[in-house]
Amino acid sequence: MKRVDIVSGSAGILIGAYVLIKCQSYPQDVVMKIGPAFFPEMLAAGLILFSALLILQALLGKSIGDYQKLILREKGTQRILLALVGMIVYCAVLKPVGFIVATIPFIMFYMFLLGNRNKLHYVWVPVAITLAVYLVFEKLLVLSLPGGLLRDIL
Amino acid sequence: MNVDYGLLWHSYSSIFTLNIMFLIFAGVTAGIVIGALPGLTATMGVALLIPLTFGRPPLASLSMLMGIYTGAMYGGAISAILIRTPGTPAAAATVLEGYPMCQKGLAGSAMAMSLFGSFVGGIIGCIIMIFMSPLISAFALEFGPVEYFALAIFGLSVIISISGRSLVKGIMVGFFGLLLAAMGLDPISGYPRFTFGFSELMEGPNFIPTLIGLFAVSEVLANIEKMLKTEKVKAKLNQYLPSWSDIKRSTAALIKGSLIGTVVGAIPGAGGDIAAFIAYAETKRSSKTPELFGTGMVEGVAATESANNSCQGGAMIPLLSLGVPGDAVTAVLLGAFVIQGLQPGPLLYKEHMDLVYAIFASMVVAQFVMQFVGMVGMQFFAKVIMIQNSILMPMILVLSMIGSYAMRGSVFDVGLTIVFGVVGFILQRYDFPLSPILLALILGPMAESNLRRALVISSGHASILFSRPIAVVLMGLAVTFLVLSFLTHKKIEKRLAEMAGKGHEMTLP
Repeated sequence: MKRVDIVSGSAGILIGAYVLIKCQSYPQDVVMKIGPAFFPEMLAAGLILFSALLILQALLGKSIGDYQKLILREKGTQRILLALVGMIVYCAVLKPVGFIVATIPFIMFYMFLLGNRNKLHYVWVPVAITLAVYLVFEKLLVLSLPGGLLRDIL
Repeated sequence: MNVDYGLLWHSYSSIFTLNIMFLIFAGVTAGIVIGALPGLTATMGVALLIPLTFGRPPLASLSMLMGIYTGAMYGGAISAILIRTPGTPAAAATVLEGYPMCQKGLAGSAMAMSLFGSFVGGIIGCIIMIFMSPLISAFALEFGPVEYFALAIFGLSVIISISGRSLVKGIMVGFFGLLLAAMGLDPISGYPRFTFGFSELMEGPNFIPTLIGLFAVSEVLANIEKMLKTEKVKAKLNQYLPSWSDIKRSTAALIKGSLIGTVVGAIPGAGGDIAAFIAYAETKRSSKTPELFGTGMVEGVAATESANNSCQGGAMIPLLSLGVPGDAVTAVLLGAFVIQGLQPGPLLYKEHMDLVYAIFASMVVAQFVMQFVGMVGMQFFAKVIMIQNSILMPMILVLSMIGSYAMRGSVFDVGLTIVFGVVGFILQRYDFPLSPILLALILGPMAESNLRRALVISSGHASILFSRPIAVVLMGLAVTFLVLSFLTHKKIEKRLAEMAGKGHEMTLP
């Protein structure tokens, strides 16, 4: 936990430092010397202060809390990475391909990732969920979902 | 304004017609469904369903909209408790105790208390609205930039209570959240800050995708990782009302939450989300066992749900008596009034007093309908948590991503949800709390814009922040709350250390 807190504190200091540096390029004297940099600078100072405090706590051996390490070799971590890839691909293809065409394989992929091996489920579950969400959002609430490849049919 | 009891009583007879009752019923049901769906807020629900009221008489239209408002404020708790995905921002605080209760097999108790708490809060909010409108309106009208800044500081002081075991980490995350809230166009000068060239970030990170990412997507990722290691805790949702012992334990939380929600709701711009967090923090602070909060305490659910539903009555006070909306939903309702040819404000009371009382009556009736529909729907909600993870998690993911998309029809928001899902997952791994980020996102813009307005008014002198009585009281409350919360935190740490030393496990009394 000590090392983790030092890393977290360092990340906080880096973020705060980035904000302070970025704020130097913002116009300072807009109205009564209180410009767009005023509030972010205050917040960055606060973040740096408490990040330093966290590092100090860690160095003094007073770290609190639990930490679960992410090990790349572990199957769980690999599943997370695959899940993230799936979400990014879904996000990228949602508009061009369309909601219905993108969502059915998306659901199938996650069902497989989560260990579902019931073939019958793969037949009706993705279609049912996709259809239900489509009907609620598109027809009931009249919120447009991307038509994509099926735009002319829907 | 003196209450005309005869007219008030008569207004109920105008509500108890088949047509109006059906519309209230339909509105409440639609509101619950919309509130339960992640990404769809009560505001959106009311806005989406306003067209259904076209062509109807004013009372019928407004009664249905009151039903939607009521239902949506409760509906958010359903997904917050069952799948850790607040359906509405106002239900974000309900996750803190509701989801841990569900994980322990107490979903029935959590759901029953959320419904009962919403009902109690809604009724108390309505009663206060009916009898205290002029007084609370006068108080709310006194709020200027200094008072709003002080309110934001008071709200932010709650961060200590929701920081979990490490105060330093909670405050760090709070500052991080405030920095996120500072992204976008500067509220005074309009200068773009930290937008990284994205026009979609001109208004800062969109709140709903951020909320969904932090709570829902991070949880899905955690579930995907632990897939084979944990078993689902099965629970039956066959409890329509909370147990008598739960009600006794939660009485103080229900009353305090309702009062806090009504007062906060009456302040224009402050909504159910702020009220719920303040009520939760106060309940935790005054509890005899604050160390158990976060593990599934029913009082926490009672406080948050009574607060966010009583906000409804509070928000209607400035709307009806002054024509100033109390929150985002009442801002949309203002439009509904105008569509019906009515102008909320003092003239409404003078010229349409019967309609005003009928609106009061419809709100009260909507609370009872919500209780009934919620009880009837409980068995249906139960089926959600019985669904196996390999089907439930993809369903949550799709709902989350499409819910984020639906706000602005923007794939960027879906990407934002994924990013905050990863941020939330990593923060939780490193034992950082997530709730302070939400609170900071809600209150950060209020704090900054009002602070700077106040400083502009005073030509840069910070003394203005301590020159107004309401502001001084709120700042004093913030400091008192900070000190008391810090002392409570120390007490909790001491108790936990004693319990660890004796080898005790932390269980509910």
